Amino acid sequence: MNFTLKIWRQKSPDEKGRFVTYEAHDVGSGMSFLEMLDGVNQGLIAKDEEPVAFEQDCREGICGSCSLVINGIPHGPDRGMSTCQLYMRRFPDGAVITIEPWRARAFPIIKDLVVDRRALDRVMQAGGYVSVNTGGAVDGNVLLIEKDQAETAMDAASCIGCGACVAACKNASAMLFVAAKVSHLALLPQGKPERTRRVKAMLDAMDREGFGSCGNQYECEAVCPKRISVRFIATLNREYLRAGVVESGLPAEPESPHAESA
Amino acid sequence: MARPSHHFQSAVGRKVVMALSGLGLVLYVIFHMLGNLQVFEGSHALNGYAAMLRDMPILLWTARIGLLSLAALHIVLAIQLTLRNRRARPVAYAVREYRQASFASRTMVVSGLILLLFILFHLLHLTAGVIDPSSADRLDTEGHRDVYGKIVHAFQNPFIVACYLTGQLGLGLHLNHAVTSSLQTLGLERAAFNRLIKAAGPTVALLVVLGNVAIILAIFLGIVRG
Repeated sequence: MNFTLKIWRQKSPDEKGRFVTYEAHDVGSGMSFLEMLDGVNQGLIAKDEEPVAFEQDCREGICGSCSLVINGIPHGPDRGMSTCQLYMRRFPDGAVITIEPWRARAFPIIKDLVVDRRALDRVMQAGGYVSVNTGGAVDGNVLLIEKDQAETAMDAASCIGCGACVAACKNASAMLFVAAKVSHLALLPQGKPERTRRVKAMLDAMDREGFGSCGNQYECEAVCPKRISVRFIATLNREYLRAGVVESGLPAEPESPHAESA
Repeated sequence: MARPSHHFQSAVGRKVVMALSGLGLVLYVIFHMLGNLQVFEGSHALNGYAAMLRDMPILLWTARIGLLSLAALHIVLAIQLTLRNRRARPVAYAVREYRQASFASRTMVVSGLILLLFILFHLLHLTAGVIDPSSADRLDTEGHRDVYGKIVHAFQNPFIVACYLTGQLGLGLHLNHAVTSSLQTLGLERAAFNRLIKAAGPTVALLVVLGNVAIILAIFLGIVRG
């Protein structure tokens, strides 16, 4: 198979980028999208040109490193999979394929198709810790968690933090990402003690990083390689409202730790 | 006490206020449509209804001021959030394909603007009587203001009918996405109700627009006469 690729090339964060057209020849239909790009890069290296920079790691859809907006869709045309799991047989022979980086103010381009996604890490860090006691391992079945609850929490926890939701969102909002993280912990007893503080801190961090707000268009859900549902965004909104109600009843200054025993 | 006002400064907080103010306006639009359907019961019913509303000036002005402040709040927040959202993606994609965003959801700013212009037109037209002074308030046989005659007169004019139908288009598009979206923003989500919540927007939009368009067209086509 042969393809014409229009790839975004940008030398550094501050330089102006542009599309450069490359031809990919003799591509096997069973090659993954990233393997196809590897082939293109081999050709560039042979010609002593700078290869196209793109991110990848596990190439089995679980690490969240790969990105790429392919023909206007983050992670390409297939639903529920990341770019590394996309195969070239999915495209008609001779197709023109446009490849762009994630585009968001919060994701500045480092080089070519590589963007800085540390904003998501900072949102995670803002979420803080969960209370887990140290010492010996807890006995099995001490903490009973309903099956449905555990499954729902796992659905949310399957987020791999790739940032496709931000890339797909018209407003470059990270709501689905934050929703997955907040819901996952708020649904489990281990995450309950800090839930009020966590949802506020993570949403504040999201605003601070320059992500947009949610327009409920659900494009994020459509491109999520883990098919995380937008129902978690409703959960996030609910958690936030709950935090507002709960917090308005708390003293702003924590009382001294010994006040209770006095 | 942590100040609750701080809670509404965030993007989600602002959206919650937008959702609540929007839902308030939706409730009004539904009652407005239902009240106006009395056109089909004749001039006696409609003029009596209008007189009843005017007989309660406190209620009338509370509603007017309340609606105006809700609309103002809704618009200010919409502008703030939209500007913020534009800033969030400084470089646009060269190729963009939507996978499931509805047409209505992608045109909220446009439908909102159509709606705003229409509301201004509507207020100037029927409330203030600026646009068509020839239909100044007359009294009907019972001494009530002849709202019925005014409406029948207005909707015989093709220009005004076109303006109102355009307004209804904007209203329908806006509500189609707005109602369902606001429920999501308020965190209302239960697997059992998802279909109901999904259907809420299109249903409310359809019913309100059908009711309003029925009034306009019934008069324009001569089914309801003066």
